[in-house]
Amino acid sequence: MGCVGRKRNHKGNHPWAKKGKTKRRTKDLDQIHEDMKPGNAEQMLNQDVNYDKPGAAQHYCLHCTRYFISNVALKNHFRSKLHKKRLKELSIEPYTQAEAERAAGMGSYVAPKLLEVKTQPDKEDTIMKDG
Amino acid sequence: MRLEKCYFCSSTVHPGHGIHFVRNDCKVFKFCRGKCHKAFKKRKNPRKSRWTKAYRKATGKDLAVDPSFEFEKKRNIPVKYSRELWNNTLVAMKRVEEIRLKRQGQHIINRLKEGKKLRKEADIREVDKHIHLIRAPGAKAPVFEKKMVEVIMADDDDEDMEGN
Repeated sequence: MGCVGRKRNHKGNHPWAKKGKTKRRTKDLDQIHEDMKPGNAEQMLNQDVNYDKPGAAQHYCLHCTRYFISNVALKNHFRSKLHKKRLKELSIEPYTQAEAERAAGMGSYVAPKLLEVKTQPDKEDTIMKDG
Repeated sequence: MRLEKCYFCSSTVHPGHGIHFVRNDCKVFKFCRGKCHKAFKKRKNPRKSRWTKAYRKATGKDLAVDPSFEFEKKRNIPVKYSRELWNNTLVAMKRVEEIRLKRQGQHIINRLKEGKKLRKEADIREVDKHIHLIRAPGAKAPVFEKKMVEVIMADDDDEDMEGN
């Protein structure tokens, strides 16, 4: 008899396997662009206290759609490679179905606009300045 | 028959094929096949995947800007049916397609011409650089020597003639 109990122990057992799961799916870039619009950005950055979220949803990175437990952690994140990479990814107009159709020959090609994306201002600093 | 365009690769999605993905903000994404759907799930950028139409147009591989692209479009304007218009449109479609294909082909031919030129330049550069492999560096000298000797001899003769 073969080893019955020890079959399929490593299938899909990679650190990157969990990343693609639907339950872990984070926002797409075009959704983040939506969040970055002036009205929405303030709403996202000043969320109500929610104890289900890390840090009660008080330290949120708008561009990486991540909650941090403290302002220090958030500041550390701003200096990280992941965050800088994300800013770079966001600094071009998001891809749309309209662009796909233009590429298919329904209309001429229009070059995507470059946008200037900056890290959100630090919350505590702004409070200090106001005070 | 409603023909959609794939979100990722811009190919035509025929009825009964592909997947419509509706994101939780009600935005609809149409995919022509699993390959495109998977690439979307992996968050690949269609502008950077080399096999998509979006890439080929963004990088100038294919003809991107041309008036012949302005005909086939989703216009969202109701048009009253008229047999004459319908017939004319069918004729025009064929003609427009013909012109479009010709221009696209010409664009690629023009693009390849540049490569031909560069390759020729590179070949000439290579030959110049490695000329010693074909002809020995000193191979020219004997010819020159011969000529120089001839010149000197001629000069001497002239001088002799003048002296006399």
